[in-house]
Amino acid sequence: MSDHPRPSRFARLLARCYPRELRESYAEDIARFIDDQRRDPDRRGALSGVGLAAALCADALGSLLDAVLHRRPPQRRAPVRWGPALPPLPPEPLVETLLQDIRFAGRTFVRRPGFTAVALLTLCLGIGANSAIFTLVNAVLIRPLPFVHPEQLVVIWGMSGGQRQLLSIPDVEGMRTRARVFQEIGLMRTQSVNLTGTEQPDRLIGSFVTAETLHLLGARPALGRLFTPDETAPGRGQPVAVLSYGTWKTRFGGRPDVLGRTLLLNGRPHQVIGVTAAGLLDSYQSDVWIPITSAPNPAWFTRPGTTVWALGRLKPGFTPADGEHDLQAIATDLARTYPAPGGNPRIAVIDLHEAITGGSRFMLIVLFGAVGAVLLIVCVNIANLQLARATTRDREMSLRAALGAGRGRLIRQVLTESLLLSLTGGALGLLLGRWALAVLVASMPGGLPITAPLTLDGSTVLFSVAVAVVTGVLFGAPAAWHGARAGLQDALRGGSGDRGRARRLDLRNVLVASELALCIVLLASAGLFTRSLVALQRARTGFDPAHVLTAEFRLPSVKYDDSVKVINFMSAALERLRAVPGVQSAALVDAVPLSGNYGTIAYVPAGEPRPAPADAPSAGINLVTDGYFRTLGIPLLAGRDIALTDNLASEPVIVVNQAFADRVWPGQPAVGRSVLLLGPPDIMARVVGVVGTTTQLTLSETPTPQIFAPKLQGGGIFASVVVRGTGAPEAMTRGLQQAIWSVDRDQPVWKIRSLESLVERDLSPARFTVGLIGAFAGLALLLGIVGVYGVMSFVVTQRTREVGIRMALGAEAGQVIRLMLRRGMVVVGVAIVLGVAGALAAGRYLESRLYSVGGADPATMIAVPIILGTAALAACWFPARRAARVSPAVTLRTE
Amino acid sequence: MTSGRRSVDGMLPLTPAVLHILLALADGDLHGYAVAQRVASASDGQVRMGPGTLYGSIQRMTDSALVEETTGRHRQEGAERRRYYRLTPFGRRVLERELERLAAVVDAARRRQLLPMPDSA
Repeated sequence: MSDHPRPSRFARLLARCYPRELRESYAEDIARFIDDQRRDPDRRGALSGVGLAAALCADALGSLLDAVLHRRPPQRRAPVRWGPALPPLPPEPLVETLLQDIRFAGRTFVRRPGFTAVALLTLCLGIGANSAIFTLVNAVLIRPLPFVHPEQLVVIWGMSGGQRQLLSIPDVEGMRTRARVFQEIGLMRTQSVNLTGTEQPDRLIGSFVTAETLHLLGARPALGRLFTPDETAPGRGQPVAVLSYGTWKTRFGGRPDVLGRTLLLNGRPHQVIGVTAAGLLDSYQSDVWIPITSAPNPAWFTRPGTTVWALGRLKPGFTPADGEHDLQAIATDLARTYPAPGGNPRIAVIDLHEAITGGSRFMLIVLFGAVGAVLLIVCVNIANLQLARATTRDREMSLRAALGAGRGRLIRQVLTESLLLSLTGGALGLLLGRWALAVLVASMPGGLPITAPLTLDGSTVLFSVAVAVVTGVLFGAPAAWHGARAGLQDALRGGSGDRGRARRLDLRNVLVASELALCIVLLASAGLFTRSLVALQRARTGFDPAHVLTAEFRLPSVKYDDSVKVINFMSAALERLRAVPGVQSAALVDAVPLSGNYGTIAYVPAGEPRPAPADAPSAGINLVTDGYFRTLGIPLLAGRDIALTDNLASEPVIVVNQAFADRVWPGQPAVGRSVLLLGPPDIMARVVGVVGTTTQLTLSETPTPQIFAPKLQGGGIFASVVVRGTGAPEAMTRGLQQAIWSVDRDQPVWKIRSLESLVERDLSPARFTVGLIGAFAGLALLLGIVGVYGVMSFVVTQRTREVGIRMALGAEAGQVIRLMLRRGMVVVGVAIVLGVAGALAAGRYLESRLYSVGGADPATMIAVPIILGTAALAACWFPARRAARVSPAVTLRTE
Repeated sequence: MTSGRRSVDGMLPLTPAVLHILLALADGDLHGYAVAQRVASASDGQVRMGPGTLYGSIQRMTDSALVEETTGRHRQEGAERRRYYRLTPFGRRVLERELERLAAVVDAARRRQLLPMPDSA
């Protein structure tokens, strides 16, 4: 072994990791040992640098643990700082004081199980709720989409009258070939597809696409290949299909021989050429990918049309706005050549992430804000508890200061306690968060755009730890600040100074007031959402959803290739449906209310000059058979219902809703008038009846004018079934299926669901939000009340002696209670003023999402302060009464 | 240091680290790293001591007078001053007692045929 005069600097640095007790005697030797070990040729092979470092770490930790477990009585005592100007103490080693502080804090918490339990419970609730909501926010809003360069991906829609609209294939093709700032544009349309030729007719979710679409979505084949651009090019398309991974596994048993197999899709044979790899495309929930050229209806390829949307990848460096500008110029040019009735849609180019998540962003931000507010309230509460405790610790702190503890050391002690508490609470919160997330996922309404499974992942853990640390510092800060101000005089005087206490109370009052103000903001927000939900539940749908079952089907256009065949099927199906036992009435309709289906048509009232195509007004269009209004309980206000006799051979007739009649012929009878429906082809139709207005897309929509035309006059291969029975609608499921299958045993029927479930589905996002915000507000109220009670109890205890003297001098119990209440009520009053101001601001932010309730809804803004004030009064009342009940003699004796 | 029979037994049983250090020092005085090397080679590399374990043990062994620092046997090369350690008579007795105790345990195990007899038997 080579002997060096002095250990290396590196070794000496490493030696500092060892506990003080050891270093006092052996610092030099340890360093020399480390050097020896590094230079030892015998060990060089066995232990690389990393291995050596790991071994040293383990060794140092072991020694630290050993030192903590077998700590010997201190041999040096810190010098007492009585006199003037002693030299400063040497800096204390960080790790050891930290360990010391942690042990001390641990003991303190064990000694005060009540405080610890309350603090941990509230922290656990606060942090747990935050981790769960953060997971949701992270999954939806923060995490980038799992695509290559997701920032370049955009969605291309048409916009018409503020509504999203599909575009026509020729228009999109035109844009695709002429676009300058796009690398690639792909077409897409998702629609149900009939799968026949298997044991039972079935329905698949099909996506009609071009080869570019799959490429843009980052699809890779797990088996076979994907489309070539030629196979999907309009005019050249091939009857081929690519299965999704899920469909291949579940419906085709994951067998590789599925390649080359021919499937009857919408009645036409398609050869399976590939299977997409699992992963990216799963969230699209598409069962099968089909070339756009296999569209079920040749009308898809004509102008004007609303058939597809498009997915695009911008060239690097271009924004969606650039893309929109580019495409709009092309679209405007095309519209000059091909003007559409009702006007050509404006082009909207939206960032894909924005398009997917935009709808839920607002609610998630509101939820995140609410849960953050709850956490702040938790902080304030624990800060208050800590402050109350800090008051009783004045003597301890003064003594520590007197024995030489610096200000920093005192602050560190208090902060260590807070952090230990908050990190423990955070760990418990993560456990709670896991559970809360499971509940959240189970109760979540569909439609939240989650691109990956919701789990508490690394980022959630990181977030929770960060939250715990910030929380700990926040609620520890007031007490630490207080502790650091503990003066030597207080300790010498043997009691705590009154001046200090007054200031401290002020701090506590400020904390409680802000906590209550936050409560009011949360309660008011919850109140607004609740009132909005209640209004929504009472909203007039215009129909009676009870006892109605709905279903959908689409006839294969290959088999039903002319309108007579289609109409024959529809008539026969209707007849069979009405014969099903338990069915009172049945009808066919294109778009069941709240099902998501919807159509619009441009029209001109007869006798009015025909406007330019772009200026023609438009209304909702729905094709129905006779009995539709009766089945849904929609009142017939004038004229007659659509009849069986309104068929291809008879004069075109329509029924309009009251909103349409009011718009077009205000104050005049509508029945007997005629309307030109703009095609192609244009049809002049006579109004034969007026019905009540119903909601079509959502419960919260304003009443929209609608036109109902006879299903048996207009045809169309798609239809929904509505049947009304007397009992539970689901009981009619079997009968409904059999009725359709008795006409054509190959015809799949899908989306069999009750009309009530559709209403419920429309309400469920609102319910979800109200439930969560309500729960957060309730929690906030509870915490706020606990906070007020805590402060009042503290005040009462502190003033027991004063009260005793007052009562001994003849004060009445009532006077004492009033005296005690006055202080509490001032705090509550301030909180109410601040809180209502905050609530009004929050209301303005929420207003756009409220249904028939204003953001400054007076009922909410008055009720919430009253509720909070009453609860706070009660929280003040009990400690105050306790003060008044104590006998003066006892109070005075205890001091 | 008083070292009656009773206080020797009071030290037993020894922790593995202490036993190994005592064994290493039985042949002669060594400095810290040499102790660790001797322990490693005597145990076929099974026992590797870090500086913390070593000096922690030596500190406690010095406190209970099992070992002591040698005086005057420093090698005086350059400014190098290493501390060497040696067994105290008390330490040697403790080691012997511990080895007797362990030998008795091994014997007992052999009699119950839990261990094979040594080759010479």
